[in-house]
Amino acid sequence: MPKDFIKSRWKTLLIFLAVVGPGIITSNVDNDAGGITTYTLAGAKYGYGLLWSLIPIMVVLVIIQEMSARMGVVTGKGLSDLIRERFGVRITFYLLLAILLTNFGNVIAEFAGVASSLGIINIPKYVSVPLAAFVVWLLVVKGTYRSVEKVFLYACLFYVAYIISGFLAKPDWGSVTNELIKPRLQFSAGSLGMLMGLVGTTIAPWMQFYLQAAVVEKNIKVKDYKHSRADVVLGSFIVTIVAGFIILTCAATLFKAGIPVNNAADAALALKPLAGRYCSYLFAFGLLNASLFAASILPLSTAFVVCEGMGWENGVNKKFSEAPQFYGLYSLLIFLGAGIILLPGIPLFPVMYISQVINGIVLPVLLIFILILINDKKLMGEYVNKRVYNFLSWATVIGLILLSFGLLISILRG
Amino acid sequence: MFLFFSELLGRSVIDSEGKSLGKLVDLKVKIGELFPMVVTLRIRKRGAKAPLALDWSEVESLNGNLVTLKLDAEKKFKDLQLNEGEILLKEELLDKQVVDTYGAKIERVNDIHLLIANGELRIVHVDFGMRGIFRRLGWIKMVDFLTNWFFAYQLPEKMISWKYIQPLASDPQKKNLILNVTLRKLHELHPSDLADIIEDLDQGKRATVFKSLDTQTAAETLEEVDPKLQASLIESASEEKASDILEEMAPDEAADFLADLPEEKKSKLIQTMEKPHREKLEELLTFEEGTAGSIMTKDFISIQEDKTISEAIDEFRKTTHPLETIAYLYVTDKENHLVGVLTVRHLLLCVNEAPLSKLMNTHLIKVKPDEDVKEVEEIFKKYKFMAIPVVDEGNHLTGIITLRDAVESKYKEF
Repeated sequence: MPKDFIKSRWKTLLIFLAVVGPGIITSNVDNDAGGITTYTLAGAKYGYGLLWSLIPIMVVLVIIQEMSARMGVVTGKGLSDLIRERFGVRITFYLLLAILLTNFGNVIAEFAGVASSLGIINIPKYVSVPLAAFVVWLLVVKGTYRSVEKVFLYACLFYVAYIISGFLAKPDWGSVTNELIKPRLQFSAGSLGMLMGLVGTTIAPWMQFYLQAAVVEKNIKVKDYKHSRADVVLGSFIVTIVAGFIILTCAATLFKAGIPVNNAADAALALKPLAGRYCSYLFAFGLLNASLFAASILPLSTAFVVCEGMGWENGVNKKFSEAPQFYGLYSLLIFLGAGIILLPGIPLFPVMYISQVINGIVLPVLLIFILILINDKKLMGEYVNKRVYNFLSWATVIGLILLSFGLLISILRG
Repeated sequence: MFLFFSELLGRSVIDSEGKSLGKLVDLKVKIGELFPMVVTLRIRKRGAKAPLALDWSEVESLNGNLVTLKLDAEKKFKDLQLNEGEILLKEELLDKQVVDTYGAKIERVNDIHLLIANGELRIVHVDFGMRGIFRRLGWIKMVDFLTNWFFAYQLPEKMISWKYIQPLASDPQKKNLILNVTLRKLHELHPSDLADIIEDLDQGKRATVFKSLDTQTAAETLEEVDPKLQASLIESASEEKASDILEEMAPDEAADFLADLPEEKKSKLIQTMEKPHREKLEELLTFEEGTAGSIMTKDFISIQEDKTISEAIDEFRKTTHPLETIAYLYVTDKENHLVGVLTVRHLLLCVNEAPLSKLMNTHLIKVKPDEDVKEVEEIFKKYKFMAIPVVDEGNHLTGIITLRDAVESKYKEF
């Protein structure tokens, strides 16, 4: 009996390891250059004050991502595929166009992250950005899905850099626990905006597409779905821990010393006198890793999603000549994204601005689509949302829609 | 007169006196003929929730942007009924994936090209191209103007005749029906192409297409398909069919594939197989992975040494199922000891009466079943054979390893 028990445990673990990946990768890409900047600013401006918000954000993240993973496992189809079949070519086309634009903005942000993190150790952007773009491009064009996923999973490990730098910054653990147990809700316009920013950077349209596509690509069986769900939960947990440590680092140093910063690279530099060389380097390294990581996944996921929806051949296992639109789009996103960073004196702000506005418009539409699809009995069979879960997810989605409109209005008003 | 389905959709339906009744929302087609005919219209009456059905015979004309009905047609509206061999164009074909058996790949339907002749409306082509997308977006005139003006170029139509189209209904209850009607072209594809198509489909459709193949095609396709998918495909077939397919596969391929199945499923499948196949397979399954035995096949011709060339040729002719290699004939004595080898050259060039024992080559390179696969590779490299015989401790001929098997075991993706 105990032998059988151990054997079945062992088997469960093996299945889990085979299924794991999509959730963890998706969540970690979520902590990209934009995400890290937001967490940095949150820590630097509001100290430990916004730490509590990460817990509800994690719950929301799990709810939204679980639905995408479930749809992927049950239908075996990607999200844009389902949207195209259900809502027709017209809606799909404009939705994908919007996704393309907002993701393009994100890709630019990732290359900006590469430039500024390597700028700290005096590598000029004219060297770092083209090199990064080329490496990222090669990874996918020359690799297979399995090798690519492996590289991505290893990249997830490097997020440990932020946890170590968090310890190096010697935060006041007493007040950290205090803030987590007894959150103080601040209703100043600034902190509310920050809160919206935190949510906005964590829940983005592209990740629904990426997660579902990755789940489909792994060909996970319905009976193994619970492992896929565990993957999603684990991923969301890791992402929250990393985000928490970034906020901790900045709260314990920059906030305490009252140093204002504008971005993550600034923060890394400012950490040097406050928390030591290593803390600063680790922080910069984390930013580099995150930017590179997201820079390789975002264009990939975008090209994948667009081709799937439009009915063009796609996938990293295809050759260039078999899937020209796929590789064309992928290459264009990378080289155009990197190229814009290299233009001297390019104002990044308007590009980011437009990308964020589109993001705010697309997210509500997409979330409603997801809810319609996941409640479609013809599609999901017995795996439609259960009643309580449905209530929960509608509430979450409506909450997110309100938040993203709030964010949109605040962006539009400047 | 040709017209596109997308142009028909949403047209106003009027009665013989010009009074508007509603809008056209779908067409029902009876599949089976070379160019299938539209039999029923689906019309949403003004203010009605569910659309109703109306026979095509009630249509007077399709002129202008109107569908004009005959006298008193309004009384003939009824509820929609889907009989065997009938599909709804919008619900089951437009924007969905189909197999293009001409190009041997999966395509997404952007539009459907219809022809009106002799009062009948028939499907003639399916549109996969960019023109179809732009037409449905309402941009086609603008795109044509721009490409003409700038490049003196017009986007080409990409339409495939209906006869090459294999629709894939997504409704589980209807799957079989559609495939039975039009399966005609699918089995003409090369198994490697079929395998690619199956890999590109989602899980449900994979099973549908696989189940529709005849046993031999299914076996050949299964050998070509990604090993990760093999198990789920065979599980989708009935047990009887599954064991038939296994019998049809090359025994070594079948053994490899069985080795990956769960124990219970494996023994069940083997039990349902016919005796000679079963014994071969069970023997192959006893060898450990990485040994010569695990990659050898039982598919070879052996003949006793006291026979003549003409008897050997007869033996050859009696072997009806395709062998993995016909390069060599193995010569044995009465106790099945391997004593020599002949090539096809011998059969073609030597006189009929010549005894095999005089002609055969007795300098044999052979391996034991427990030999390491790497050793086998070395032998192939050194001697450039097409196949190597495998003998047990007592020099009894138990199988052969073909060059293809050795290459496949070294490069799994072959």
